[in-house]
Amino acid sequence: MNQRILRVGALIVAALIASFRGSFVAADEPNSSTIARDSCALALLPHEGTGGLDLEIIRVQKEVRSASDPTAWLAQLGWLFIVKARISFDPGFYKFAEQCALCLDAKKPGCTEALLLRAHVLDSLHKFKEAESVARELVKKRGVDVDYGVLGDALMEQGKLDEAVAAYQAMMDQKPSPQAYSRAAHIRWLKGDLPGAIELMSRTVGVRNQHDPESTAWSLVHLARYEWQAGDTKKAFELIDEALQLQPDYPPALLERGRLLLGLGKTMEAIGPLKRATILNPLPEYQWTLGEALAAAGHGEEALAVEAELKRRGATDDPRMFSLYLATRGEDVSSALRLATSELQTRADVFTLDALAWAWMANADIEQAWVFAQRAVAEGTQDARLLLHAGVIASAASESEKAAAYLAKAALTQGMLLPSERKILATAQSANSAFASGSKDSRTTQSSTKENQK
Amino acid sequence: MKPPNHRLAVAAVAAALTLAGSRLLASSHQDAPLAVFDPAANTTDVYAFVDQEHNGPKSLVVALGVYPFEEPGIGPNKYNFDDNVLYQIHVALGDDLKAGRATLSYQFRFTSRTKNPETTLYNYLGVIQHVGDKNQNFVQTYQVTKVDHHSGKRTVLGAGTCPPNNQGIVTPYYNQGDNGENPAKPGVKTEAELDRYTAEAIAKLSGGYISFAGQRDDGFYADIRAIFDGFNLHNPGKDNQGGFNIHLMALEIPISELGGDRQIVGVYATTSRKRLRILREDRDERESGDESASVWVQVARQGNPLFNEGLVAVEDKDRYGRTSPELDNAVFRQYAENPELAKFINAKLLGGMHPEITTGRTDIAAIFIPDLIKVDLSTPAARRTNTGGDDPETGFSRLSIFGGDVLKSQIQDPFGNGGFIPGGWPNGRRFGDDVVDIAVDALLSNLKVVPPVIHTYPPGDGVDSNDMRYNRVFPYESTPQNGLIHGHHGLPPE
Repeated sequence: MNQRILRVGALIVAALIASFRGSFVAADEPNSSTIARDSCALALLPHEGTGGLDLEIIRVQKEVRSASDPTAWLAQLGWLFIVKARISFDPGFYKFAEQCALCLDAKKPGCTEALLLRAHVLDSLHKFKEAESVARELVKKRGVDVDYGVLGDALMEQGKLDEAVAAYQAMMDQKPSPQAYSRAAHIRWLKGDLPGAIELMSRTVGVRNQHDPESTAWSLVHLARYEWQAGDTKKAFELIDEALQLQPDYPPALLERGRLLLGLGKTMEAIGPLKRATILNPLPEYQWTLGEALAAAGHGEEALAVEAELKRRGATDDPRMFSLYLATRGEDVSSALRLATSELQTRADVFTLDALAWAWMANADIEQAWVFAQRAVAEGTQDARLLLHAGVIASAASESEKAAAYLAKAALTQGMLLPSERKILATAQSANSAFASGSKDSRTTQSSTKENQK
Repeated sequence: MKPPNHRLAVAAVAAALTLAGSRLLASSHQDAPLAVFDPAANTTDVYAFVDQEHNGPKSLVVALGVYPFEEPGIGPNKYNFDDNVLYQIHVALGDDLKAGRATLSYQFRFTSRTKNPETTLYNYLGVIQHVGDKNQNFVQTYQVTKVDHHSGKRTVLGAGTCPPNNQGIVTPYYNQGDNGENPAKPGVKTEAELDRYTAEAIAKLSGGYISFAGQRDDGFYADIRAIFDGFNLHNPGKDNQGGFNIHLMALEIPISELGGDRQIVGVYATTSRKRLRILREDRDERESGDESASVWVQVARQGNPLFNEGLVAVEDKDRYGRTSPELDNAVFRQYAENPELAKFINAKLLGGMHPEITTGRTDIAAIFIPDLIKVDLSTPAARRTNTGGDDPETGFSRLSIFGGDVLKSQIQDPFGNGGFIPGGWPNGRRFGDDVVDIAVDALLSNLKVVPPVIHTYPPGDGVDSNDMRYNRVFPYESTPQNGLIHGHHGLPPE
């Protein structure tokens, strides 16, 4: 985030806090009562906007101000801010939601609604360990389906898959719901059960809620990705269209459409949705994809400009994705390793393990790379990028049979890779194949590859 | 996009609050939505009353509404029954009534089909002339199954097709003058007058059952906002459901199927979803799919109006939805005997002078516990309305017994008046019963003594009728509001 804006903003908010306190005391050491007071004040900072959700936030803020017991309204306001954060992709609204939780907790100490809200916000802000701690408290105190859901979310992101599965199963056992199905779908996908993931995610998209279309759009985009991976690109496009009808200009849907087009070689067509997605949500994942599309279309200068922006903000906005980008490009590989290593402290899921393995590979430490690559593929996740990395690393580690298997699997869905990654795949496959024929009976490798393709 | 000054404010707050040094990340994690509504499984209202057409055999009409607050018209939003939800209307007979246990369950299962998936026009390919015709691109059919819990027998009663939702131009026959640019047709008095789609969607099942499933206007009317805003009622109030549709399942059950009319039966409804295993362990399990290894889990329940919504505490609402009425006596009786709503009424309407209405309400518990709508089948047919409320032609009063609308029972005399009992809720519930005003009057009155001491609060919630006229014939609920032209909260269509 722009540091200048942050500084100016900090000053403004200090003044705002001071105005709520009645004197300029923003520099005071905070204590619990002032934090609570400030939280309530910040949650009620006048909201602006004319959209339906904005008007609802404004209305509920008014209810909080006037109600003799505002606790129920505060919880509602917190969830509205979460919806706003999800729609706008402005994480600042998660902070407002967090203030609602803190204010709620101050007014009603130990309140389970405050714990749920806070745990979800912490998870959304990537404070997974803190989210787990709050969620565990919540489960102990109340233990309804959504409590297990938020606990599972925090566990899953940290790579504690077995515990996450148990939490999600408890959620499902208590109350099968769209949110339980979507979580189970993701776990199945992580474990390599693509048909199972499709079956469950399909159950979430039949539900339409005019008051929260983003939730359905989210499910549609994920289902589109699964269908694409399963080879049904037509279905994937239909699902994305549906998501965009529900939630116009939805960045994840635009990104997915761009990626699909790029994967199908329709580079020029891909640029439009990718540009729009990147304007709306300028994060490394979006910028990297757009940059590749522009480069593939021969718009080299534009691609460079996009990637320059990516390099400027990537380390702050999404260090794991930026690490992957740097390692793939072979640029500033020490930063790639540092970012991935640091990310591992926050979460140790398969994607962080993959990023770290790839960063070690970029730093030419094949032994370390192979250690983390094996951990990354251990759950059976069938992700083209993850398998590509594992294949390249395995090949470098002289594990040519395994390399061939991983690369063959990656090749099955290579359309999901970026153009530069597809080049790496092609190179790696020929190199590994050449190495294998030089060292082993090539028939063995081919047979193994075919077996894995099956 | 937000205006820049607001983005700055957001950034400012975020910046000032990064006390723990957190980074603000908006991607790269699973971020599955947590607070997702489940409208297709969300019950709105249950109805149950005695009917008798043309001096023929009596029947029990039951109905369940789901999908609250459907904004009429379908853009990207699709409103429909969910194929993955089990909808059930339960009937308790004999000893099962007191126990809060279903004797019979009527299950509705839906199957959706898109005839032409090669178009982005999900629902309509042109003007729909008849239910299920080539222009009704998205079609839902359903099957009704009767489950007898005593014998374990399951009987498929038959199937039906849902009519289209009322979109407007493409669904003209729902609307006045058979013109999609006009508001929806008001309710009618005879079957012959029913709009084409509704009439065609009424399915005659085996055993004399009749069913309907499809979109209707939400016939519930009340100033719910005012009630939940500290019970600060206004006159006139605002019909918060006005102008919204729901999806309704209705079933006409021959009384003979229930063992005759000399009894009181209980009716409630549930929705359930499949509990699935997060992980499928082996190839066999993966190949057999999820359905075979899963069980239904109840996710919502509905009996009498206002019980869970108005009396059960927030912390127990979800528990109510997941449990059987068999637990009501042990778990939820407290909410009926000490109704919080009575505290608001005492404070707001009685100046706090009548605390006796707030506790020891065994009379209110008799209505709600167990939370089944109790229907005396021995009465003549319930009066029905062709207006949005009172109907002088039939003697239907929206206030039921508090409006003088009574029926003579052949099997009970609870009020010592020769067996005259409420013509509507809480003896059954009809389309058009003003359940909020009836509840207020019941809470103000003392129904524990014989004869009861009646007090009423005539202004009620200030909403005395639905914004649409009901049908006096099956499926009773009003025509679905036109997506093109409708008004909300009692305002004229626009």
